[in-house]
Amino acid sequence: MRVIRNVFRRKLRAFLTIFGITIGVLSLVVMGAMTEKLTLLVNGGVRYYGDKVTVTSGASIGGLSTAPLTTNRIADIERVPGVARASASLGMLLDKELPTVSFGNIPTIGASDGRDKGYETFIVTMAQGRDLRLGETGKVTVGSDLVKKLNAQVGGTVTIRDKKFQVVGIAEKTLTAPDQTVMMSLRDAQDLYAEDLPAAVKQSLDPHRLATSFVVFVKPGKNPDVIARLINHELPDLKASGPTEFITQIVASLSTLNAIIIGIAMISLMVGGLSVINTMTMAVSERTREIGIRKAIGASNGAIMRQFIAEAAIIGMTGGLTGLVLGWMFTSVVNAAMEVSGTPLFLVTARLAVGSVLFATVLGVFSGLYPAWHAANLNPVEALRHE
Amino acid sequence: MSDVASALYGGAPDPADAGPTPVIRAVDLAKRYKLGKENFVDALRCAAFEVAEGEMVAIVGPSGSGKSTAMHLVGCLDSPDSGEVWLNGRRVDGLRGRALTRVRAHEIGFIFQGFNLIPTMNATENVSQAAEYAGLSRGAAAARARELLDLVGLADRAKHLPSELSGGQQQRVAIARSLVNSPKIVLGDEPTGDLDTVTSDEIVRMMRKINTDMRTTFVLVTHNPEVAAACDRTISMRDGAVIDQGYGA
Repeated sequence: MRVIRNVFRRKLRAFLTIFGITIGVLSLVVMGAMTEKLTLLVNGGVRYYGDKVTVTSGASIGGLSTAPLTTNRIADIERVPGVARASASLGMLLDKELPTVSFGNIPTIGASDGRDKGYETFIVTMAQGRDLRLGETGKVTVGSDLVKKLNAQVGGTVTIRDKKFQVVGIAEKTLTAPDQTVMMSLRDAQDLYAEDLPAAVKQSLDPHRLATSFVVFVKPGKNPDVIARLINHELPDLKASGPTEFITQIVASLSTLNAIIIGIAMISLMVGGLSVINTMTMAVSERTREIGIRKAIGASNGAIMRQFIAEAAIIGMTGGLTGLVLGWMFTSVVNAAMEVSGTPLFLVTARLAVGSVLFATVLGVFSGLYPAWHAANLNPVEALRHE
Repeated sequence: MSDVASALYGGAPDPADAGPTPVIRAVDLAKRYKLGKENFVDALRCAAFEVAEGEMVAIVGPSGSGKSTAMHLVGCLDSPDSGEVWLNGRRVDGLRGRALTRVRAHEIGFIFQGFNLIPTMNATENVSQAAEYAGLSRGAAAARARELLDLVGLADRAKHLPSELSGGQQQRVAIARSLVNSPKIVLGDEPTGDLDTVTSDEIVRMMRKINTDMRTTFVLVTHNPEVAAACDRTISMRDGAVIDQGYGA
């Protein structure tokens, strides 16, 4: 209580300093929540791609290919030594056009030929309803983030690319890509995909043989990166990527992005820290006489130092808590607004929340160190003479 | 009294030579303060005096005579350039760090001219803070503070902030604070300087009563002849030296 009273002796100054920290923590929480969301998304990708090889026709990002493949190639791939199973999958954007702003979490349509059953280890369970049955057409399961966007409920219908589908299940939240995916039968997805193909291409292809990628499962003990190289060697018109390639490409670029985002937030926090140093230095200067009195009545240097560090820590912690609350409110509001489009941007994790407040408190302590040390080492007689 | 001081200022019998060990013994204290690069002032040149247990002594002298500096050195708030300070039979002028803090907390109480209470703390907290610095728990310190506030007649003002108290009441809180750790010595730097005559008289009587009842030694730096007259003895200083210890001819 005494510490809090001391902090708020100069109310306006205390509030302004706390506000400085609040802004820093607010930006840390908001930026951090964005990177947490991205990290989880990528971690999901790492888990998904960690044990398998993805085969596309060429340039593609995360299995979304522009050039179509045909399921005839499954047999070719399965002939490559070390391959246990190849499964066709088809992925495309849920909406025909890309959103203008995206942070990696774009709503998609996904479909599989079901050949991955028994091989796929990344299982998405249903929170409501049931999963799709093999070959079942006209039905979909909806990722948790898309429920609002599509106004989906089990048993009801949703409109996807102008076609109506019955919702049989709503997926459990995974905090990664499947949350923004509508799963349907490969046949339905092929029909939707074929519609967008240029007429010339459409005529030359059987739409029910279309796929955008193959998911390749390797035999036990085989290294998926080695098998990917082998596929590329055996089938040069295809592009096989092993997990390491995914990790180096996506994870490395995410790390850079995260570093930049967190760096920006840190800079604003550091500015907040400087204002704590300024405030505490002024507090020491204003209370020089009081420090002299405290020393005269028996305060040790350590006691004086602890007192001022505690005050700085309170400033840091209060700023941290306020910044966290504001950041949480901001991200919740934005996420709620984005829910309609199925692309929540932020995720305030426990480690982010605790870390932000802890960091602000530690920053306060560090910022208070010099002023506190200065206060503790004042000569009591000179301090008592101070007006 | 030291040989040097005796030779210089002569006169008074030295209680240290004959009677019990004095609670305060200042031996040939010198202190020079720098005012600028080549400018300095000799606040104390060769000050020597002693105070016996249970005495109430005034230190008087014109401004700049070194009274306050002598009190600061005796109170372990500053260290002399040369000379010795003995408190309760122990030399303290060389103490540093924790040992020095312990002396300030346990052996000496301070009363200042401007009361010097901490403005954000109420009367009880101002008193208990000193007890907490001496190592008492917050609860025990608060209980002890209430005892002392009762002693100085301020039990009903315990929760008041300094700004809600009169000058006399604030000084009584300061007296309670100076006594909270039961020190043998209380040093007062112009303790009645900011008070009117009536209140000043009240405060001096209070200190005298504590001096008599608790045998607490009081050393009061003062300009006020009435305060000096109320003391057992008056030490007179001029130009950084003690010119009379007040034992009489």
